Amino acid sequence: MYGELTVRPFVGVLILLALGFVLPLLLPEYFLYLGNTLMMYAILALGLDLLLGWSGQFAFAHIAFFGIGIYTSALLQLRLGVPFIVGVPIAAAFAGLVGLLIAIPATRLRTVYLALATYAFAECAQWIFRAWDSVTKGSDGLRISAPDIFGYVVGTDRRAFPVMAIILALVLLSFLYLTRSKLGRELCAIRDSEHVASASGIDVKRTKVIAFVLSAVFAGLAGGTYTLFQSFVNPDSVGLAQLILVLTMVVVGGSGSIAGVLIGVVLIGLLPEFLRAAPRGLLVWQEFFYGLILVLATMFMPRGLWGLWQSLFARAKPQPAASPAAGARGPAA
Amino acid sequence: MMSDLLLQAAASGVVTGCVYALVALSLVIVYKSTDVVNFAGGELLMLGGYIGLLALVYFELSYPLMFVVVIVAMYAVGALFERIPLTTVRGQRYSKNAEADLVPLVVATIGLGYLLKGAVRVVPYTEEVRRLPPLLEGAPIFIGDVILLKQDIAIIAVTVVVMIALTGFFGWTRTGKALRATSQNPRAAALIGIPVKSMRMIAWGLAAGLAGIAGILLSPKLLMTPDMGNVVMLAFAAAIIGGFSSLVGCVVGGIILGVLQNFVGILISPQAMAVTPFVVIMLILVLRPQGLFGELAFKKV
Repeated sequence: MYGELTVRPFVGVLILLALGFVLPLLLPEYFLYLGNTLMMYAILALGLDLLLGWSGQFAFAHIAFFGIGIYTSALLQLRLGVPFIVGVPIAAAFAGLVGLLIAIPATRLRTVYLALATYAFAECAQWIFRAWDSVTKGSDGLRISAPDIFGYVVGTDRRAFPVMAIILALVLLSFLYLTRSKLGRELCAIRDSEHVASASGIDVKRTKVIAFVLSAVFAGLAGGTYTLFQSFVNPDSVGLAQLILVLTMVVVGGSGSIAGVLIGVVLIGLLPEFLRAAPRGLLVWQEFFYGLILVLATMFMPRGLWGLWQSLFARAKPQPAASPAAGARGPAA
Repeated sequence: MMSDLLLQAAASGVVTGCVYALVALSLVIVYKSTDVVNFAGGELLMLGGYIGLLALVYFELSYPLMFVVVIVAMYAVGALFERIPLTTVRGQRYSKNAEADLVPLVVATIGLGYLLKGAVRVVPYTEEVRRLPPLLEGAPIFIGDVILLKQDIAIIAVTVVVMIALTGFFGWTRTGKALRATSQNPRAAALIGIPVKSMRMIAWGLAAGLAGIAGILLSPKLLMTPDMGNVVMLAFAAAIIGGFSSLVGCVVGGIILGVLQNFVGILISPQAMAVTPFVVIMLILVLRPQGLFGELAFKKV
């Protein structure tokens, strides 16, 4: 997505904000709950894609940073009475700090070992949430108090919805900036070839660490938004299953493009609802379907649904510049 | 008293370590021949265990025959997965960077793991926790003060036989040598006429077969659930201790890990056993990325 900045993304963000204020007046509570969940996953998935799609690094630690974000902001509110508006940035910053500590050794590793090391870290973090009984209440889970934003008490999904929309809009704007910044270009260069990137004067290690930390910050922020509309967290909420869910969103929608990730979030996020609505309770097949979708998506949609859409309908343009993967595609092998 | 306890823990650690070694070897074979970290390894083990259960309990086959059925079935699963999904993924050009191209392959193995787990879970038979009958039954054997079950002896024996068979296969057969050549340099192997695609299929088949054997060996000791594939992290840790490269490394890594885990359970806390493999993985990758035995590999350009 190196291309020119057009008006279209900003219109999208404005529509999101408008919907954020209008929909709570129209929709029943359950739909708003789904909407809140999708917006939270959108932040999480965009953060994951920053590593996976933009810099080609495995990032299984992502779900751990999400957990750190949830627990930090929940505990700050619960134990110390820190307001939401202060607690969430602290939580995101803390996730980023832990991310920095992990990134410095981890980015030295080659892909395979990076995958295993970050995976191991995610499991360790989940274990700590479970074992540190006195603080996190262990497997019993932690009750989250309703956040209060300058007197606006967010107790229900209806009241959380506009706040989520504003936060997601800010995240999207920062992504629009990020992907067109020097850092975004450097990340793409590294993903395409580390050697060429470093020969062009990019400090590969430093850039990778920055990407890792930023991704952790977004995950921590997503964790903070969790406390807006959920009243309960336990270590099972931040396990591998959630990571696979987010990974499926990114892969199916289209790794490396904002629009693709958002499409993936909506489709995969709503999949359980479709399965539940289907006759004969297809919900038990959920795990199977996620697995099947992951395998099929990697087989037939290298750039996700968004890439597929573009190659079908945007042929007229000389170069589908909206996806970095497209820009990076070499001559046919 | 404490030393007796530790000795016993060490002995049973060696037994479980043997199973970890088999799974670790399965992971290493896949990694060496296709560069892929197989996150479905645990689910292949789980599937092997359930196929064994089906053959033994439902079709009432004998134990040796069941081994054959499991190995053949798992070989087919592994080879098919390589032949159809992974080959297709490799055909898609994701980027110019070979390392970044590994991401979708690994994602596909994660998908396979989920698919297998989900498929086994919807079978009504798996709702109840099952247990595979042990390979050998009978009075336990005393070696000094250490008690070993007959099935523990069987596990060690099967592992030794499998390891000897694999050493022979890789050392002396044409296919084994071709496999080694392919893993060292696929392009050069293809140039001298080795069918690289078939080699990859054989490697995946072998790896799945090994995971299946490990599943049969582990299922009598563990509770069988669709989630039993989680033991794969122990195998990853074992493989990493061994440097992710050699058969001997896997065995030593597996045994170190099996014993270490039991010691952690006794000396620190049973709760800490669950986190042991992850701490081991992180410590080794940070402090000694080449493993305890591996040599420092030069980065491929």
